[in-house]
Amino acid sequence: MAKLRNVAIVGFAQAPIVVRDEHRVASEILYPQVRRALADCGVERDAIDYQVAGSADYVDGRPFGFVAALDVTGTWPPRQDLHLEMDAAFAAHYAWIRMQAGDCDTAIVCGYGKNSEGEPEHVLNLELDPYYQAPLGLGPTSTAALQASAFMARTGTTDRTLAEVAARNRTAGVRNPDALVRARATADDLERTPWAVAPLRKGYLAPTGDSAVCVVLATEGKAEKMCERPAWIRGVDQRIERQTLGSRDLSASAGARLAAEKALAMAGVGAREADVVELAATNPAEELILLEALGIGPSDAVNPSGGPLCGHPFMMTGLIRLGEAFRQLAGRAGDHAVPRARTAIAHATLGHCLQQNLFFVLGTERRWT
Amino acid sequence: MKRPVAVVGVGQTQHSSRRADLSIPGLVREAADRALVDAGLDYGDVDAVVMGKAPDQLEGVMQPEQFLAGALGAHLKPLIRVHTAGSVGASTALAAVTHVASGLFDRVLTVAWEKQSEGNAMWALSPNMPFTPPLVAGAGGFFAPYCRAYIARTGCPPHIGPMVAVNARDNATRNDYAHLREPMTFEDVMNSPVLWDPIRYLETCPSSDGAVALVVASEEQARKGPRKPAWIKAGYSYAEAMWVPGRDQVSPMAGKICAKAVYDAAGIKNPWKEIQTIEIYVPFAWFEPMWLENLGFCDVGEGWKIVDRGDQKMGRHLPVNPSGGVLCTNPIGASGMLRLGEAALQVMGRAGAHQVDGARNALGHAYGGGAQYFSMWLVSSER
Repeated sequence: MAKLRNVAIVGFAQAPIVVRDEHRVASEILYPQVRRALADCGVERDAIDYQVAGSADYVDGRPFGFVAALDVTGTWPPRQDLHLEMDAAFAAHYAWIRMQAGDCDTAIVCGYGKNSEGEPEHVLNLELDPYYQAPLGLGPTSTAALQASAFMARTGTTDRTLAEVAARNRTAGVRNPDALVRARATADDLERTPWAVAPLRKGYLAPTGDSAVCVVLATEGKAEKMCERPAWIRGVDQRIERQTLGSRDLSASAGARLAAEKALAMAGVGAREADVVELAATNPAEELILLEALGIGPSDAVNPSGGPLCGHPFMMTGLIRLGEAFRQLAGRAGDHAVPRARTAIAHATLGHCLQQNLFFVLGTERRWT
Repeated sequence: MKRPVAVVGVGQTQHSSRRADLSIPGLVREAADRALVDAGLDYGDVDAVVMGKAPDQLEGVMQPEQFLAGALGAHLKPLIRVHTAGSVGASTALAAVTHVASGLFDRVLTVAWEKQSEGNAMWALSPNMPFTPPLVAGAGGFFAPYCRAYIARTGCPPHIGPMVAVNARDNATRNDYAHLREPMTFEDVMNSPVLWDPIRYLETCPSSDGAVALVVASEEQARKGPRKPAWIKAGYSYAEAMWVPGRDQVSPMAGKICAKAVYDAAGIKNPWKEIQTIEIYVPFAWFEPMWLENLGFCDVGEGWKIVDRGDQKMGRHLPVNPSGGVLCTNPIGASGMLRLGEAALQVMGRAGAHQVDGARNALGHAYGGGAQYFSMWLVSSER
């Protein structure tokens, strides 16, 4: 592996996830997060070379929703800028690539967009191709159920196992002050909830909500001055697959497997060495498929934040995973801290049935010396 | 940029108001196939795909790159989707350049497109902002006041807009891919109805179906290629906030700063003397003199005089939009990348009937949002 620039997460701020932030527009929710993230790093906006954001116009149902964010990210005087129509974790990956190109040393990465402005089942139906799949009326719960069925049929995984995976996330989420759902729930409780779409029960699904997120990235030399314990990016990779549901093996995720392999190889660590694994899984079957792709089993290292099952502001859920990994490595995870965490994996996904997957591998130590 | 990056392949579709012969995957594939053939490469050679388009509401498909990944051979590859309003085609190409400059990718396919016939642009481009009465005026209604302010500020006479429109159409007659190629006269433009004062119907860009794809690659790949590459000397994307007291929408600071950054990095001291042709984003005719000033080709108030003298025509000092530009072809998301791709074709010496003689340096430019997003590159025949 060629020597790359060491880049670290040095700041993170997230608005606590709520079902509906009634009195603020998306950019108003974002503004305090930008200010807090910069304040945490002890810098003003002028110290930041680059800004990149991730959001989707259809989340709040209007074109150019991201333009309003320019007004709260300190985009005056004019700044170098980019916006991706993706989960903001992919924007963080792009900022890292830009740092590898030597084009910037510091960056803010923002995610925003009020999920409550639309109906996610209908909004995300529009991601499917407009000729064959979208007209069927498939929403993300229906397609996730197809994937869960395929996974259960191949592996013999039972409803009880899904309930246990969901319950572990819910138990962890009790200790996360930014989570949307903080009520404890046992596997027995969740196994009794009605079907959403079989084999997925209502208690197994990720509740969407409103939030906003800002992450600060910096290269070696600057990172140490902005953060006492930076979380160094040791490896990262992302892969997309073709969309058509019938064209791929839904019982597994070839793209997640490849992205995980590449990111871990770059990082020079195995998945088993990870003390924290934050996965953007929106149901227990997805979590198990992703763990299989990583080559590890379920454990308490997975989603100490409670994961998306305790709050899923989509288009930000992935960036929150990256932020949670930072919190754990930087000693800022408070009540949900994993003691002595030194290596973390953060995951983001886009599309139906884990179509696109991104893995970051982070550590308390620099990768390249 | 850590290492040199070049354009090694350019492909575009036949643009028209309705490509009913193609689905959306067919449209992007037509451009991508042509770019890869041009580069002497195949889909298997591509390390990553960078896609751009304007708001998803234009076709009613959310994040359509997800369903287009298969058509673009992106299965099990990295893919990103860029959206920076009207500037997106240009910022997308520059994101692809960053991928190659990083040293992590050697060959990146970048694609931008719009299939406006599958939606309603006036609806999709009339955002309903909180606390703001909906104008339902589309982009023309939004930008007309900026043109009026330019006229008031500089004394630009009323014949300048029509002159720009006639010249753009004249240029498009020499571009095989252009959407609007029927010649028109000054009188035709003057006799067309005013849509949004001062913008007349024939001073307005069309709604087009179209796509464009570029292959950007490392120096090693560029040296191997079947054709002479276009070297990217510099490229930047800048944005500025909307609600800033004293912000100048007629000549936005983001455009000036972006142009200066590009010229400085490319070693251009006098753009008027050192750049032989430019492809700039002119969706409404009056923006041509406005951008000539904003981009530093002349002093404030002198842009319309360049048009008045005809110095921006083919065969004159600085041919502007030899392809016919956005006024003749406007698949919105692709329009910015078409500017950058056309600039590349000029310095490669492969622009065909609209080739500018002796084009060594060319600027490609796009803007978007409320004149807030600016993205441009300077390409050269010399490394």
